[in-house]
Formats: sequence, C-alpha cells, structure tokens
Amino acid sequence: MSFVKLLKKPLVILLLCVAMGSCVKGVDLSQTEEIALTPDLQVSLLLFDVTNADFKDKDTGVFTATIKDTVRLEFLDDSYIQDDLTSVEFSFKYTNSFPQSFRNKIYFLSENDNVQHSLQFDIAKGDKNNPVVTDWVEVIENDRIDVIKRSIKMVVELEVVPNQEAFEGELKFESKGLFSFEF
Amino acid sequence: MRPYLFCALIFFGMLFCQGQNKQLLYNVNGLPQSLMSNPGSSVNFDAHLGIPLFSKFHITAGSSGLNLFDLFDDSKPDVNKKVSTAIRRLTRNDYFTLHQQLEILSFGWRLKNGQYLSAGVYQEMDMFAYFPKDPAVLVNEGNNDYINVPFDFSDVSFTGEILTVYHLGINKKINRKLTLGARGKLYSGIFNVSSTKNTGLFTTRNDPSNPNFFRHYAENIDVRVNTSGYASLNNSGMTVQQSTADLLKRSFFGGNIGAGLDIGGTYSLRENFRITASVLDIGFVYQQHDVENYLYYGSYATDGIEPLFPDVPANNKTIPYWDLFEDEVDRNLKDETVHENYTIWRPLKFNAALEFGFEEMYEDCNYRRTYKRRNYNLVGLHLFGVKRPRTLNVAMTAYYDRKFKNNLRAKISYTADDFSYYNVGLLVSKRIKKFNFYIAADNLAGYLNLARSQSASIQFGMQLIFKKP
Repeated sequence: MSFVKLLKKPLVILLLCVAMGSCVKGVDLSQTEEIALTPDLQVSLLLFDVTNADFKDKDTGVFTATIKDTVRLEFLDDSYIQDDLTSVEFSFKYTNSFPQSFRNKIYFLSENDNVQHSLQFDIAKGDKNNPVVTDWVEVIENDRIDVIKRSIKMVVELEVVPNQEAFEGELKFESKGLFSFEF
Repeated sequence: MRPYLFCALIFFGMLFCQGQNKQLLYNVNGLPQSLMSNPGSSVNFDAHLGIPLFSKFHITAGSSGLNLFDLFDDSKPDVNKKVSTAIRRLTRNDYFTLHQQLEILSFGWRLKNGQYLSAGVYQEMDMFAYFPKDPAVLVNEGNNDYINVPFDFSDVSFTGEILTVYHLGINKKINRKLTLGARGKLYSGIFNVSSTKNTGLFTTRNDPSNPNFFRHYAENIDVRVNTSGYASLNNSGMTVQQSTADLLKRSFFGGNIGAGLDIGGTYSLRENFRITASVLDIGFVYQQHDVENYLYYGSYATDGIEPLFPDVPANNKTIPYWDLFEDEVDRNLKDETVHENYTIWRPLKFNAALEFGFEEMYEDCNYRRTYKRRNYNLVGLHLFGVKRPRTLNVAMTAYYDRKFKNNLRAKISYTADDFSYYNVGLLVSKRIKKFNFYIAADNLAGYLNLARSQSASIQFGMQLIFKKP
C-alpha cells in the first residue's frame, strides 16, 4: 500500500490549500459604489388635432385668436424624477394645413402657477393640400434640470396670425420627452 | 483581498448560485448520505447515526453566465460599461441558483430481513432565478434604443423556498444484481415565493399612422408573484423572538405541508460494472397558510394625453387630464393583492450513472452483508438533471473513486455543466473507528480565485457508521 502513502498527504494538502488559499483576486469591489442604471426613456406626452372650430367660443360661436390648455403631468413629482432625472429632450412637432401661421408658446408651471420654463416658436403656415411640418427640440440638462423638477403642469398656447386667407384647416401637434436617468 | 473573501461568498450566496447536484456524494456507498441521492444505493454498513446538525451541511452557488470578475475587473474601471456588457451578453435562460441543506437528524439501521431503513430530518433552501433579460435591459438602458422592439415580461421567472423535510426510506437488495429503494418525504414549508408563468410585452412603436411620435403598448400583461410565509413576517410587526417562534412552528408542520417520494436503484451488470439511477423529490407542497399573491395584468395602449382646448369652465378649473389618464390605466392594467392557495411542485431531480471497478480487493466473506465493496478503484460517468421552470438543467460528471484503506476514501470528479467545463471536485472521507467525517468541494480551481468562478460548492458531515463484524 505504498500507493496510499504516496497520495494521502497530497490529497490532504490539496484540500487544505483549497480551504486556506481561496481568495478573490483581480477585482475591485469598491466599484459597486459606482454602479448606476442609466436608462433613456422615450415617453409620449401631449397630442392634439385642432381645426377652425376649436377657435370659436363654444357658447357664442365668436372667433378667438388664442386658445390654450393646461395638462398636469403628475409623474414630474414622482421620486424617480425628483431624485434621478439628469436631462430631458423635448420634441415638438406641428403639422399645419391652415393657410395661416401660428405663434406657439409652451410653458411649464409649478404648483403655484409660476413659470419654470417656457419656449416659443412660430408654426409655419401650410396648405390644405400640402401641410407643413414645424419641428422644435428643447434640451434641458445639467443645473437647468431643476426647472423640470419644480414643474407639474404643461401649458400649450396657440395664437393665430391672421391674414387674408380663409381660416380653414387642421393643426396637428405631437410631443415626446426623452427622459434620461441615473439611478 | 482576503477580507473580501467573506463578502464575495455572501455575494455569490445571495445572487448567484447551481444547486442540487451532489455528484461527489452520489454512488459513495460507504456514506449514509449517498442514500439521500439514491435510496437504492448498495450501502455496505449496518447502521448509522448522524451527529445532530453536523451530519451534513451543503451549500452550493452558481451563476451560469456571470462571475465577479466580469463586473469588477480592476483593470477596467468603468463598472457601468461592464454591467451593460454583461446584461447584453446574458440570455433569458441564464440563471442564478443558491441551494443549501442542513441535516438535523439522520439515522438508519438494517432490519433482520436485510432491508435498510433510514430516516431523518433536514432543512433545505433552494433559490432559483432566470436572468430577467428584457426587464433588465429596459431598466438599464430604457426604450430609446429599442423602438419597435418588444420587452418580454415572460423573462421574469424565479422560485424560492425554505422548508423542513421529514423522511423515511427503505433500501432492499432484491437479488444479487438488483437493489431498489424508496424514500417517502413530508415537507413542512417555511417560506415560498414563486413567479414562473408570466406573460406580457411592452413595446414603444413609431408607426407613422399613429397620431403621436410614439404609441406605447402593454399587451397581455399577466405577472403573478405567489408567496407564502412572507406576508405575516412583512406586515405583522412581530418582534424577532415572535418571528423566530413562528418560523420554528412552521418547521414542525405549523405552516404549509406537502409530500414527496424518492426512488432509485442499483443494477449490477457484472461483478464490477453497475448502473445506478434515481429520481428525487417527486412531490409537492400545498401552500395555504400565510399566502399572499401579487397580480398585475391587462392590456393598454396610449399615444399620450390629448387636451381638448375647451373654454375655461365657469369654475375656472382645468380638465383633470392626468387623473382621467390614470383612471383609464388603472381600469386596463390592474394591480391586485389576493390570497389564493396554490400548489408548488418541487424541483424534480434525476441521477443516472455507470460505474466500473478495478483492482479487486479481498475481505473476509460475510453472508450477512448486503453489499461489499469489491474494488479499490471505481470510475464512472454520472448524469444529473434538475427540472426548472423553463429548462432542464443537466450536468455530466466523470469520476475516479479510490479506497486507500478501510478508513480512507477519496473521490475526484470532473463535471461539465452550465457553469464551467473545468469543474474538478474532490471528496475525502476518513473513518476513525465508528466515527466518519467527510468533506467535499466542487470546482477546486475556482477557489484559487473566487472572482473568476461561476460556481462554488462545499459539503461536509460527520456521523457514526456501524458495521457488523
């Protein structure tokens, strides 16, 4: 049984080596503190499609040049926005078949209706057979992101720029936000 | 780095872990624990008594697609890039497991008719989770780069259970060639969580026919998480002592109960050539105590919120578009907590092995023995499989088992499984008179640097083994 003596010690030594020599090499576990999830989420926001009928008072039928509406965006108050939002890229798109142009204002309000952020651009006039697209991209990042965190309402205001053409057509609005987070 | 060893083990223990395969104990007929992996083993002792709480401890952990080095390689400082790379590389069938067993009581004796009875109690924990590929990508990267690509919530699939098992087995040598065995089990569930048959797609599409840039679809969402033994601990406000008392009560059939069966056998084709096989945990646990089920289901699609540009109403209040939107979402995507009993099938396991012996050994003939080891050396091939919610996870092991003396035995194994093709394991069993001690470890090379290892397993135990002269 010399074979026994030959292998017995190496086996015990091997097990001891495994038990004593186990270690974790070549890794830096302090990197766990740097782990961050950074999703970029595309989120549809508001959309509408207005015609000349929407520029008339519902009760009197009198034409009004300016219309606006307010939508609360409650998710802006959620903790993942307040704590982890790093930037937003808003995209707005108008498709206009009115032969008139429009002045467009979009602003973000706090709970107390204080304007936190606003933007304004003109919507090019179009043609009922050839609608014209007006795009606008608004990027808010770094320190300015707080204006979004303080906001809870989004207001869209449209003002017709009158001309001699008949006021007939359709104005479509599309909007989205690319919200970037760091959790 | 040594201080990190403990942290690393815990990390692996909590997140990563292959469970269940006990290839080093399978077919080691000199150990009573071999009866737990094959009740039809050809055991060659006449009685055994495990040292209470120390007769068997086994823990194994594994990750089929990831190790610490992949995430925390110190030569690559950008950990988030490594996390993203890992998430993209892993598939929905990669998995993490943690399995642990602690034998509380173990004993057995040979009846006058030659049959061997064995019984005992052990506690078992088994955690298993597939990598939730699509939800992980959505959380880590968002939907921006995945427009028109669905995120599939069926990727979410996990199970976890802690239970106490009471068992009684019988082993009978039918004839010179065949030994059969069976073990009945009663399960006393302590904790269970299960979420395995989820469905649902979340997609952001940019179809030009849609009225907005994107339309978000939540289609056929049906996510269900069943739990038992969780709600009372989570919500009751019990003290630690009360919780401990409650857990002990559940261990003694105070909670959810079930039943199961192990069967197995050994067939000798020749004196030194045999086949063995077993099927373990053909059983279920009926979850009816402290059950809570979390459901999220429905379908919904949205383009966004559409303001109507009304004149300001007389009360000067704007239309609550957001509230209307939330109400619509809640009507279509329901979030419920219910209390519905459910049945959990235990993860079915099977073993099959071919074993060949050589270098014949001679012992005094004794007609009362049901089995006598006939060879100093045994080589074998062992196939193990465990049924998981979506896959059958298998491992193939080749082994060499050497008995050096009557009191020293060692087994070295090579296993190819989902974790590694370089898994070399070692078991050493040492007997001092009636007292026997064994220790076994898998994936030995992995211990040299646990950071690069995708699995780790260790088991040890001590017992008294009696043989009639």
